[in-house]
Amino acid sequence: MAPEALLSHLNRADGSATYTQNGYSIIGAVNGPLEVQRRDELPSEATVEVNVRPAIGVGSPKERHLETLLASTLRTIILTRHIPRTLVQITLQVRSLPSEHAICGVDASLSLLPHLIHTALLALLSSSMPLRTTVTAALVVLPAGRDAAPMLQPTARDVMLAKPIQSAHVFAFSGNGKVLLNESDGSFTYEEWEEACEMAEEVCCKEGGVGLSDAMQVDGGSENLERWLREVVRRKVEKEMRWKSGT
Amino acid sequence: MATATTILLPGDQIPPESLPKPTNAKKPLTLGPGLRHIPPNTITATIAGALATDNKKNAAWIEYNSGRYTPQPHDLIIATVHASAAETFTCTLTPHTPPALLPHLAFEGATRKTRPILPPGSLVYARVSPSPSSTTSGYSLGAGGAPIELTCVDPSTGKSDGLGPLKGGMVFPISLGMSRRLLAGKKGGVIVLEGLAKKVGFEVAVGRNGVLWVDGGNVKTTLLVGRAVQEVDEKGMGEKEQLWVVERGLRGL
Repeated sequence: MAPEALLSHLNRADGSATYTQNGYSIIGAVNGPLEVQRRDELPSEATVEVNVRPAIGVGSPKERHLETLLASTLRTIILTRHIPRTLVQITLQVRSLPSEHAICGVDASLSLLPHLIHTALLALLSSSMPLRTTVTAALVVLPAGRDAAPMLQPTARDVMLAKPIQSAHVFAFSGNGKVLLNESDGSFTYEEWEEACEMAEEVCCKEGGVGLSDAMQVDGGSENLERWLREVVRRKVEKEMRWKSGT
Repeated sequence: MATATTILLPGDQIPPESLPKPTNAKKPLTLGPGLRHIPPNTITATIAGALATDNKKNAAWIEYNSGRYTPQPHDLIIATVHASAAETFTCTLTPHTPPALLPHLAFEGATRKTRPILPPGSLVYARVSPSPSSTTSGYSLGAGGAPIELTCVDPSTGKSDGLGPLKGGMVFPISLGMSRRLLAGKKGGVIVLEGLAKKVGFEVAVGRNGVLWVDGGNVKTTLLVGRAVQEVDEKGMGEKEQLWVVERGLRGL
């Protein structure tokens, strides 16, 4: 199922997005460029601050870990040198998780990470922050057992049914097909990792494989993330340009 | 104006055939907001939006309507006075950004003896002055260390040209795209103000920082005008729909 995206719906933030897929729903807001605190100020680039808020309760070391991963990934795609000595503040509030999220056998922060990355990217696009490129991410889960096929962007329910899980991988790719982030958990061989990486690359950035992804849409319901992103942007532009084209 | 819109994501390269075809071959290509030149001759987008080109000016930029206002030299803005220092007023253009400075003497007819007194919270219609220290990169005005400076006079004539403190009236937040449309004149396609002005008298000032100031003399007119512009903004209305807004608004008076 393609993710649903709603852009620029919070009117106080500079950019905002709500992202929903497979029971994961996250609200993202971006503010910036803002005035930066003296101790965080970098003389030649912008400071990127990421706040992750869980669905229930206050943040824990798990959220801090996700924030570190997100901040370093997003710093590479934001043109921080265009806006030196400023602050880009990204807040991600998890709104709801699928009920199987905690018990599906994959590390909870790992299965959440791709969704957080997509939300942050959409909010950044909505805030018109200068970006070097885009980023898309995918989760690949390898169930235990020789004949089990690797699962690409599975729902939490599918993962729970496929237990036991041998390893889980998250890959994030930039718009030009470079790996920006890889987090892996579990035991796996290099060949398995490479296969997972190729699968993720396929869904994240292969734009040429139209025939393939069409076939996948029919039977698997999976689809190309880059194409999805373009569709989201097209809708945003359409809304903004409505006065020019219509009546 | 291009007929088919090219939609770009950050990092997309602009194909050479979508760049403007200059009518005057000597004119260098100008890149506006949202585009980045990577030497030797790659041009990529940095924000998501539709590519717009102008063949006459040999310029290309990306149309977008979201995000925070970044001050550019010569922009007309509506600033809020925050405090008064010895020589300058410190003003805010957008929340949580470093304050902009408005010298006491940058008003029409101001001298060392007679300087304007503006209490905190008052509004000023001003222009962003081209600061000598600002670099060519559009993003780094004010970020390079020197604060943004504002002025309410034309430095060559010493006249205010309509700039100065705004008294009375009310402020309405509008989108940055709407403020650009309002300032673009006919190209912006906003006719709601002209339509309303046929029946009621009012005064407006548009700031590029997404602020609309309206003074209609009484509360009813002020709200009518401000709300009409906000509605046109939110719904992205074309000219026909605006006429309808005008008609409905005037009926309510």
